[in-house]
Amino acid sequence: MPNSNTSAAAKILSLNNIEVVYDHVSLAIKGVSIEVPEGGMVALLGANGAGKSTTLKSISGLLVAERGEVRRGELQFLGRSISLLSPQQRVKLGIAHVLEGRRVFEHLTPDENLVAASAVRSRHDMNRNKERVYGYFPRLHERRGVASGYLSGGEQQMLAIGRALMTQPKLLMLDEPSLGLAPFLVAEIFQIIGRINREEGLSVLLVEQNAVAALEIVSHGYLIESGRIVMHDTAEALKRNPDIREFYLGGAKAKSFHDIKHYSRRKRWLT
Amino acid sequence: MDWALLAESATNGGLVGLMYSLVAMGIVLIYKSSSVPNLAQGSMTMLGAYVVLAFANNAKAPIWLAIMLAIVTMFGVGMAIERVALRRLAGRPIIMILMMTLGLEILLRAGAMTIWGGTGRPMPLGISDDPLFLGSMLINRTYAVGAAVAIVMFGLFMLFFRTRMGVVLRAISDDYTAAWSVGISVERGVALSWAMSAVVATVAGVLWASVQGVDQSLAQLLLKGVTVAVLGGLDSLGGALLAGMLLGIVEGVSASFLDPVLGGASRDLVDAAMLMLTIMLRPHGLYGRHDIERI
Repeated sequence: MPNSNTSAAAKILSLNNIEVVYDHVSLAIKGVSIEVPEGGMVALLGANGAGKSTTLKSISGLLVAERGEVRRGELQFLGRSISLLSPQQRVKLGIAHVLEGRRVFEHLTPDENLVAASAVRSRHDMNRNKERVYGYFPRLHERRGVASGYLSGGEQQMLAIGRALMTQPKLLMLDEPSLGLAPFLVAEIFQIIGRINREEGLSVLLVEQNAVAALEIVSHGYLIESGRIVMHDTAEALKRNPDIREFYLGGAKAKSFHDIKHYSRRKRWLT
Repeated sequence: MDWALLAESATNGGLVGLMYSLVAMGIVLIYKSSSVPNLAQGSMTMLGAYVVLAFANNAKAPIWLAIMLAIVTMFGVGMAIERVALRRLAGRPIIMILMMTLGLEILLRAGAMTIWGGTGRPMPLGISDDPLFLGSMLINRTYAVGAAVAIVMFGLFMLFFRTRMGVVLRAISDDYTAAWSVGISVERGVALSWAMSAVVATVAGVLWASVQGVDQSLAQLLLKGVTVAVLGGLDSLGGALLAGMLLGIVEGVSASFLDPVLGGASRDLVDAAMLMLTIMLRPHGLYGRHDIERI
């Protein structure tokens, strides 16, 4: 089932059988394997608590902030193992993680948010990067002097993405950028993400509960359930898949709880 | 009403208050960049004064050089405190970090007692004891110098927080995890804030030592520092400056007029009242930031 074309193309990121535990005991993800092709856009879909955010944190190294650790598996970025690197080192290599819930620096202005995240030393380069971000998100430029805590949800999401771009990433990981936003804003933000991907060749790993929106812009998708990858295919195939249609795209007829349980069990069998 | 006495005690009180601000600024610096209320600021102030004396008396350095050397040394001490005591606590509940700073406070005070003993020593800054005459008012020269230094330090730190490094420190205090996510070295930022705080503690220590001598009682400046920092709003340098002046004026005036009645306890009573009323009536202090809530 996994598309052979992906593995043939150059990979920017590959997770092989990653297992994460929190507090030494609770197993959050159980052997997740994911690949992101260079310059590609991949979605990681799944319900609440399925392990999507944990997967991203294992890649960015932010598990340490929550007493979590990767206990097993291989994390490779641009062909080198990154398991032992600190979050800063991973950012330097080119991994940017836009956190769930946006998490902008609320008491700083949008402009200061961008400055704080800037990876480059020279003021000239920093200003060029800022202009680039403002180019993608003109609304941030209009609001650049306001404390970011007062921005709207959509503006904060734009700022969080713009802030990540200031680190000059090669891989942009987005954790639920659509969360709590009006549909037209989701469309706008996804469209800009697509543009950044096309214009700069930035690889994107998109984590979403909003499968409808996500599958519109990615080429491949993974489906994660209870800490396991249960499906992997092209976006087109996933959109056509009857199970996905039913449970993640809000498809057709309602089913009983028994059927859902049956479905989950079957999925576990398949992996 | 004795207006001349009122004016004189208010002026001197204001100047003393600005010297309190120096202690408070150290607390604010750390709080502003890492949201940790530092209970060791008083004993860091004391340590700064002792280190200056160590360079001046043991190494026979001239006093200005001793102060410079002490500032550099204390910068290192600040970094070391973060590295040894606080780094491993990052992300732990604030109460544990608070208790750690209390432990530091006790350790530094006891350490100073062990190394230098309990006898008071003079801090020979060479500021004359003769008062300045401002009209008919007598102004203490040391207070005047201390107040001026406090204002200069305030200006320097205000400028610092507008620099890129300053913005990074403010970002850290807003959200550790988000700071990590964009590659900010949170540990280094927090260490820098402790180092700067140790430097301002040294400056405060020298000035206060020239007022009251060098001994462990310098550590009690923590109480003034905390009161001023809370009144000013914990994360506001300007607030610390203003609150220091305010506390100093109220203290000075009440000491002049109420001490005969209250048997010398009025300064402490004023402190207690200020601290408690601030927390009850205005928990964010004069200029502290409120957590932003969008409606």
